[in-house]
Amino acid sequence: MGDSKVKVAVRIRPMNRRETDLHTKCVVDVDANKVILNPVNTNLSKGDARGQPKVFAYDHCFWSMDESVKEKYAGQDIVFKCLGENILQNAFDGYNACIFAYGQTGSGKSYTMMGTADQPGLIPRLCSGLFERTQKEENEEQSFKVEVSYMEIYNEKVRDLLDPKGSRQTLKVREHSVLGPYVDGLSKLAVTSYKDIESLMSEGNKSRTVAATNMNEESSRSHAVFKITLTHTLYDVKSGTSGEKVGKLSLVDLAGSERATKTGAAGDRLKEGSNINKSLTTLGLVISALADQSAGKNKNKFVPYRDSVLTWLLKDSLGGNSKTAMVATVSPAADNYDETLSTLRYADRAKHIVNHAVVNEDPNARIIRDLREEVEKLREQLTKAEAMKSPELKDRLEESEKLIQEMTVTWEEKLRKTEEIAQERQKQLESLGISLQSSGIKVGDDKCFLVNLNADPALNELLVYYLKEHTLIGSANSQDIQLCGMGILPEHCIIDITSEGQVMLTPQKNTRTFVNGSSVSSPIQLHHGDRILWGNNHFFRLNLPKKKKKKKKK
Amino acid sequence: MANVPWAEVCEKFQAALALSRVELHKNPEKEPYKSKYSARALLEEVKALLGPAPEDEDERPEAEDGPGAGDHALGLPAEVVEPEGPVAQRAVRLAVIEFHLGVNHIDTEELSAGEEHLVKCLRLLRRYRLSHDCISLCIQAQRQGFTMLPRPQVIRLRWPPKVLGLQNNLGILWSEREEIETAQAYLESSEALYNQYMKEVGSPPLDPTERFLPEEEKLTEQERSKRFEKVYTHNLYYLAQVYQHLEMFEKAAHYCHSTLKRQLEHNAYHPIEWAINAATLSQFYINKLCFMEARHCLSAANVIFGQTGKISATEDTPEAEGEVPELYHQRKGEIARCWIKYCLTLMQNAQLSMQDNIGELDLDKQSELRALRKKELDEEESIRKKAVQFGTGELCDAISAVEEKVSYLRPLDFEEARELFLLGQHYVFEAKEFFQIDGYVTDHIEVVQDHSALFKVLAFFETDMERRCKMHKRRIAMLEPLTVDLNPQYYLLVNRQIQFEIAHAYYDMMDLKVAIADRLRDPDSHIVKKINNLNKSALKYYQLFLDSLRDPNKVFPEHIGEDVLRPAMLAKFRVARLYGKIITADPKKELENLATSLEHYKFIVDYCEKHPEAAQEIEVELELSKEMVSLLPTKMERFRTKMALT
Repeated sequence: MGDSKVKVAVRIRPMNRRETDLHTKCVVDVDANKVILNPVNTNLSKGDARGQPKVFAYDHCFWSMDESVKEKYAGQDIVFKCLGENILQNAFDGYNACIFAYGQTGSGKSYTMMGTADQPGLIPRLCSGLFERTQKEENEEQSFKVEVSYMEIYNEKVRDLLDPKGSRQTLKVREHSVLGPYVDGLSKLAVTSYKDIESLMSEGNKSRTVAATNMNEESSRSHAVFKITLTHTLYDVKSGTSGEKVGKLSLVDLAGSERATKTGAAGDRLKEGSNINKSLTTLGLVISALADQSAGKNKNKFVPYRDSVLTWLLKDSLGGNSKTAMVATVSPAADNYDETLSTLRYADRAKHIVNHAVVNEDPNARIIRDLREEVEKLREQLTKAEAMKSPELKDRLEESEKLIQEMTVTWEEKLRKTEEIAQERQKQLESLGISLQSSGIKVGDDKCFLVNLNADPALNELLVYYLKEHTLIGSANSQDIQLCGMGILPEHCIIDITSEGQVMLTPQKNTRTFVNGSSVSSPIQLHHGDRILWGNNHFFRLNLPKKKKKKKKK
Repeated sequence: MANVPWAEVCEKFQAALALSRVELHKNPEKEPYKSKYSARALLEEVKALLGPAPEDEDERPEAEDGPGAGDHALGLPAEVVEPEGPVAQRAVRLAVIEFHLGVNHIDTEELSAGEEHLVKCLRLLRRYRLSHDCISLCIQAQRQGFTMLPRPQVIRLRWPPKVLGLQNNLGILWSEREEIETAQAYLESSEALYNQYMKEVGSPPLDPTERFLPEEEKLTEQERSKRFEKVYTHNLYYLAQVYQHLEMFEKAAHYCHSTLKRQLEHNAYHPIEWAINAATLSQFYINKLCFMEARHCLSAANVIFGQTGKISATEDTPEAEGEVPELYHQRKGEIARCWIKYCLTLMQNAQLSMQDNIGELDLDKQSELRALRKKELDEEESIRKKAVQFGTGELCDAISAVEEKVSYLRPLDFEEARELFLLGQHYVFEAKEFFQIDGYVTDHIEVVQDHSALFKVLAFFETDMERRCKMHKRRIAMLEPLTVDLNPQYYLLVNRQIQFEIAHAYYDMMDLKVAIADRLRDPDSHIVKKINNLNKSALKYYQLFLDSLRDPNKVFPEHIGEDVLRPAMLAKFRVARLYGKIITADPKKELENLATSLEHYKFIVDYCEKHPEAAQEIEVELELSKEMVSLLPTKMERFRTKMALT
């Protein structure tokens, strides 16, 4: 899906008149989403890399060389459909969107972005789409506000191109935890139509040119950022409250690829002569690149960047759930081969920009080991229970399963019912002096009690019966510990605790009572840990307070 | 030479030089190379005035033209030959002109013509390469081999890799390797030439431009030396870049290091700029685990940075844009951040080599490393000797003084780790002075995350579980407030990172408390409550992380993006586990928790079934989830029976 990825498109302009007149060779072609750059000079030796065609794949390739080749030609409408629509939607959803344009002067960059009066480009289409929708959707429940700003980034400095005072003051880029990245003091002007935007843009461009001339700078070496902020206010008529969604649309004209190289401004290219004093200033770039590559995926490095403003700019565009598109424009002419190749490479690298949302994972080893142990335990319990289960237990399990299947109640209801039953049961048990034992609950140390034994480990030692001074055991309602089932008589047995703390068991006549495996028919003193069987399958163990018993939480 | 109008020649040459120094943007927009072309015309005139090149009396060049083809100039000459006599003098003068013509053509993008001129220049000089008169020119001409690389090879770094995580920024040039190697050959030859010259001659050579200067304007020895050394420094720097292109990164780093060293030696640096470069270079070294070199760079960075304002910038340094206080403080903060990474990486590296398979201290490994320590100390001197050392005398002492305060060896116990931790923490505070949350949100958070990471790795060395718990608590205390105000519209990714990290920290604390409870004779309800609270908090933050994946309509995506797939699955897995670990006396609650746990395990299994590509991201976790999905229902069933039974 590549949601977080930058969508990269390349567009090829038609030959211009001069090129056509000179019969300049065309070296670029498009095949589906691939751009093929053919060698200029076919006479090069076979081994020479310059003699081989180069192929680059992108998200979109727009072949706009000849309008008459209808099936191949990508016009302004197609470019907008592929790149603009999605981005517009995103702005309305309250997210950020950004389009970067990159390409040598004369490669059709402004045609793609601005277009002409009858062939409008991306920016006018985006804007008219924006205003069309805001006007259509505006009502008492929602309103829209559109503001624009226009700035230029040159040599790490930010200038406001819409500053009414026309001051050349450089502004600072900042970040705010709630408002995000912002430019301190940048003017934001409210607009109501594309016309407003158009005139502001052309004003800004004028100011850009003037500044460049005054400062002896080249406009092609500066990035220009036109930002549209869409504030969508929703009113809740009933409650009288309102909420806001803010989406930002950035249109970035990246510094040109051509003259920057020629002047060596980009850094890696070092010059002699007049620049000799400055040439080593690029040492920092080289060292940064080295430090950068050394770490690979490892995040453990800090590389102070020199072009922090561009970093900042990209942060704004790549930070959240934003959509980012980049459109690179190239010329098909052979004499632009070098520029075209470098633009295609640049775009190729942009393609690989994925915002790894890298979270620092902790090694999972411990939790895995932990869970493995539990899985083992569960498995063991399961197999044990299966091997040892009595027919009765199996029946009961099946029965309850049937019951559950028959119940067509929802899970929540089921849980609620379970809870009700459990509560009822607990009340009942409490009245009988029985406490329900569950893992993690410690039994009072100072009490004498019986605890149930069961072949199924999951059912074992779950029930606790506290013993009073005189405890009656049997199936009748009058008994203190009520048991039912095979072999239990209404009055089955009595357990007494003497004043010295001795525990005496007295079976009723003709009852099935076993202590530690031997049948008992007359009173007998019990000791801590003695096993008692009443009837056919009521096993218990006696616990006396002398020894503390610890139950650990798992 | 009587027939050569010498004054005219000199005048024209100076004019040409002046023209070629005109900055390009001063030219008309449509003719960016106007000044260069005028300079070229003048140079051609001078060349004509000087007359034809002298016949190369002895061997004609045996090899064809072209820098790669001929073996001319690249081998070292056997002896020093001074250009004597008018013929030789004229050859050298012509060579200077050819050199400038070559540079001129390269500047105007006519690479092959430029190449021709340079080759001519080198041919004219070939006999006198090592001479006092010609060495500098020769090296400069050869160095042009570097600028002659086809332009696409000189890759610009426009997308800041910090944001983009690009790797291998410069390594995409395999196809053109051959040409880089040509440049390399030229530059290496120049390096060798320099070394030989310094050994055999040593006196500062003539600067090429002097040839067309009147006698009285000739340069002083000192100036000559300065220019010549500068030429060589650049040569080293170009080699650094060539090695980088060739992906010989260690060598590239070595040459950058040497370039920095020469800048110090020749007092040709700006303190802030130099310091930040040295500090950045340390980041290369820490990732190569060369901690001694990293420490050296960082210590030198501190010392040189301290010179800011004390030493007036020399004329060789770029304009003092660094005098702005803001930049000063920024760089200070950045150097501090480089130090933090040093401390952190060294500690983490120690942890890696001493932990067992579940991330606990392995005592055997620890004693093994202790035994190794002696050997490491023995080798210290030899490693130091191999490394490039900055500065001499006082400067060297000052750097050593910084170095002595911090270890470059992996910490082996808590005490040693604590030393590094404290240093790292000191730099955290220093970095935070500049990178405040207000204005530098992302940077500030990164520093805090490093601080948290320092605590985390320190906790590894701590044996007392209660104290370890406290360290994690400190981490949470510093991270939690960050998330409160962070607008996810802009800081989605960093928000996720923090949520994940806080969740992990709570999980670790819970594990520790369980272990502590395990050891207690009488675990009371108090500790149970604590464990459950930690569990709940961990759950909350994993849930926040998972919620951040929802689309604008709050729907959890059908398909999770590949960048968050693994974290999302891990979060689900941990959530499932956490529900299974809640301690409750209430069987109904217990059953509920088991059901929720099952639900999350099921999510993982179902998702991987639908999206097979997800399975390979979390193999082990998936296998265990499948087990749990098959076992948990039985457990729950039994639990229900148990409840019904009573």
